Amino acid sequence: MSILVEPDFGTPPVDAPLGAEATVTIDGREVTVPAGTSVMRAAKEAGIDIPKLCATDSLKSFGSCRLCLVEVEGGRGTPASCTTPCADGMVVSTQTETVRDLRRNVMELYLSDHPGNCAGCARGNCEMQALAVTTGVAEVRYGREGANHLDDATDASNPYFDYDPAACIVCSRCVRACSEVQGTFALTVSGRGFESRITPGNTNFRESECVSCGACVQACPTDALAEKSLVSLGMPSRTVLTTCAYCGVGCSFKAEVQGTGPATRVVRMVPWKDGGANEGHSCVKGRFAYGYAAHADRQLEPMVRDSIDDDWQVVSWKEAIERIATGFRAIQDQHGVGAIGGISSSRCTNEEVYVVQKMVRAAFGNNNVDTCARVCHSPTGYGLNHTFGTSAGTQDFASIEQTDVMLLIGANPTDAHPVFGSRMKRRLREGAQIIVADPRRIDLVRSPHVAAAHHLPVRPGTNVAFINAMCHAIVDEGLHDVAFLRDRCEDVEIFLDFIRGAENSPEATEAETGIPAAELRAAARLYASGGNAAIYYGLGVTEHSQGSTMVMGLANLAMLTGNIGREGVGVNPLRGQNNVQGSCDMGSFPHELPGYRHVSRPEVREIYESLWKVTIQPTPGLRIPNMFDSAIGGSFLGLYVQGEDIAQSDPNTQHVEAALRAMELVVVQDLFLNETARFAHVFLPGTSFLEKDGTFTNAERRLNRVRPVMPSLVGKDEWQVVCEIATAMGYPMTYADPAAIMDEIAATTPTFAGVSFARLDAEGSMQWPVNDAAPNGTPTMHVGQFVRGLGRLTPTVYVPTTEQTTRRFPLLLTTGRILTQYNVGAQTRRTPNSMWHPEDVLEIHPADAHVRGIATGDVVEMASRVGSTSLTALVSDRMQPGVVYTTFHHPVTGANVVTTDNSDWATNCPEYKVTAVEVTVSTQARRAAYEHETADLGASV
Amino acid sequence: MTSGHAPHETPEMRMGHDLVRAFQHLPRERAAEEIATHIAKFWEPRMRHALMTQIRRGNTDLHPLLVRSAEHFVDGDIDRAEVAEPSGG
Repeated sequence: MSILVEPDFGTPPVDAPLGAEATVTIDGREVTVPAGTSVMRAAKEAGIDIPKLCATDSLKSFGSCRLCLVEVEGGRGTPASCTTPCADGMVVSTQTETVRDLRRNVMELYLSDHPGNCAGCARGNCEMQALAVTTGVAEVRYGREGANHLDDATDASNPYFDYDPAACIVCSRCVRACSEVQGTFALTVSGRGFESRITPGNTNFRESECVSCGACVQACPTDALAEKSLVSLGMPSRTVLTTCAYCGVGCSFKAEVQGTGPATRVVRMVPWKDGGANEGHSCVKGRFAYGYAAHADRQLEPMVRDSIDDDWQVVSWKEAIERIATGFRAIQDQHGVGAIGGISSSRCTNEEVYVVQKMVRAAFGNNNVDTCARVCHSPTGYGLNHTFGTSAGTQDFASIEQTDVMLLIGANPTDAHPVFGSRMKRRLREGAQIIVADPRRIDLVRSPHVAAAHHLPVRPGTNVAFINAMCHAIVDEGLHDVAFLRDRCEDVEIFLDFIRGAENSPEATEAETGIPAAELRAAARLYASGGNAAIYYGLGVTEHSQGSTMVMGLANLAMLTGNIGREGVGVNPLRGQNNVQGSCDMGSFPHELPGYRHVSRPEVREIYESLWKVTIQPTPGLRIPNMFDSAIGGSFLGLYVQGEDIAQSDPNTQHVEAALRAMELVVVQDLFLNETARFAHVFLPGTSFLEKDGTFTNAERRLNRVRPVMPSLVGKDEWQVVCEIATAMGYPMTYADPAAIMDEIAATTPTFAGVSFARLDAEGSMQWPVNDAAPNGTPTMHVGQFVRGLGRLTPTVYVPTTEQTTRRFPLLLTTGRILTQYNVGAQTRRTPNSMWHPEDVLEIHPADAHVRGIATGDVVEMASRVGSTSLTALVSDRMQPGVVYTTFHHPVTGANVVTTDNSDWATNCPEYKVTAVEVTVSTQARRAAYEHETADLGASV
Repeated sequence: MTSGHAPHETPEMRMGHDLVRAFQHLPRERAAEEIATHIAKFWEPRMRHALMTQIRRGNTDLHPLLVRSAEHFVDGDIDRAEVAEPSGG
């Protein structure tokens, strides 16, 4: 595809009541539009371009540039078409001599303070020159000798884009994008009249509140805000539509590139306006932090070694695959079929994940396949399946436009899911309210134009007590939806009897949760009676010993109040990685075949047995922690790991490393020699998202196409490598292409029956289920009835975690993600994002810091029952007393050195969010370790 | 209160005792059935065998409810329909 230029209608579409329309005539062309549509937009829909500078269809009309003037028959003056709504019967002229004269004059004034040798105009990234032609300005009568801004200095402090005030026309598109789209309000116009300038506060961009989402760059009509890559590489020549590979929002991007084949270079990633998940917005990771894909650390050739103490030897693909096949078969011959297994990755495509589970089930001959969702959202799968009958969120992101009350718990969207976080903030500015249940005072508690109705600082480990108290208060005050419970749910009386118990009252749970009863009751009242209420949650819910119970508790709350089964409501897990949903859907769990069907079901096994010509084991396989335990126990000796750094991301690092050391053959497939590769015998190079062809499924169940921007840098696609391993082990596996893999998925999995690459290419994206009952997909689940029939209410008895504070370990550690880094940092640490977050820090409340003699910047040692590590302290009143917080983006931090083996009772999801620790001023020289790490990453950081 | 997992617990014992904590609010037989069904649904056979070995050895550190749930296995008294229900996780 050549460069894809999306049409700009100048003003946003209008959400008019059905049938409310206006028919207008513009330059002789009749056009009918929804009532309230601007003349500018109507003109564009009629194929007429009206010149504009301050207008763009992602922003509300502003009416400042005075270029879009028109004449209206019977009207006075020359109104701005961007701020003039269409009225039925209106007759508009966009090209009269009067408006042409006015536009020429205005354009001359703009050009009098615009560089004559504008580099952006030369590149084609500035609209000024084209507008000069359009408006007929051949020369500037005013000259350039007068006062101007042409010598203003460029702000190059941001690593990804420059601000050149000389090219700026102060149209305010950037300021409005920052406020309306991103919701950060970092930019403003300082000064008046000629002194008006765009500024990120009294500092430069890097030091400002700017979050580098790129909305301002995208909105800028000139070259004033431009990507550095555009300046250094020049304009792109073609576009590839694809999907971001960071968080579970799943933003659609236009990869704008130069060259073809191996010579392909990405010039920039521009969010796609028609992207169903992001609708043209982006964050600093997806928009800019893609450079890791071409980082010098990429390992591009297969490598092997006999012992983990040996040096790596580069070998051919053939030799590496033969060694894997021989090694795995030898282990099975000696120790049994179940002595090997595989781990699939939420970073990989559905098609890549599907073939991994197929390799394990068909070639390995067992069910020892698991996925990294084990350590994040496996309780979501368990809890929502148990209550609703399907393992997924209930809404699309757009549903929030109908939400009146949000309950946000255990998630920090403005950092971890930033594009959806911006959407939440926009809805809050429109008048919705938010209840935040979080140990920390996150940005959605209070930030510019955001003030939570209630911040409930729930103590880590007590979520279930909290959610039970919410339900108790609602029932106690008669706010539950009796009709919904009667018509849509089962086990109602059992649940009501349970929840009415005095032990669940806000007053009884206050001491445990730390939430004042009156505040909790007020929040419960708001949730139950404030209109459409929607729950959004993250790993602060799932990564607990009662993670699955808490997910069921959230489902209870939604059902109790009838907030499920329509737009604006629901239970919505914010998935951590790009394809968590998909990797679970594809049969990665050791007890389920694709589509969440248990392996014990003969009719389901029969589908695959007849197609794959193998016998599938009817009993569950090993989960990841079971694999580790079995390895230490001596019965599990071979592991294939796709794109997950288990040595860094899984809990109790010492235990994981002992398990990996105990294995005879560890195969790692990844972009980089990660921490797990230290224990590997075979390393297979993986492909970045820019090289993949397939699909990701985001948190909305939306299947998005991932298209190859460039050929695989390692010579093979990952699905091919998996097929070759299976084939070398004696089970032939071949596909013509990833589309054929999706065809097999659709043919064998009822919820994907209507999915194909061809349909996705035609539709843009689709949300499963896609089948005969829902041929175009399912944005909202459980409408009319739940997937399982009746929604199941479940008594969610609070069982305190066994990980409790003591005099020796008096603080609770909880963990999270920061905006500019991502998970274990393998990608983002290899981009300039690290300049904002060069190390993990430990946030500690001033009172806790004071009694320990800790000040911001001190290196402190943090010890738990299983290990200790050291970090730099940040004293912060965002924390509540008794709770400390850190991120886990840097290996040197070793956050999982201190996390325990505790896990969710149902799924073994680790209890990352609750670790009893003590923090002391460190006597160790951690700085040296940190400097060593940053030196390793080289000049790109 | 201290961390509840005894250091000498095997992984199977630890997981089994997590299930005990999750279900022990139920009447004893119902709880034993729920635990047995969960184990049938999610545990790989060698883990079940390891737990049974501990039971046969008369390990006194095992919670009686976990021992009782294992008897449902021995008796084949598992709700297969519930095992086959979609579960996720």
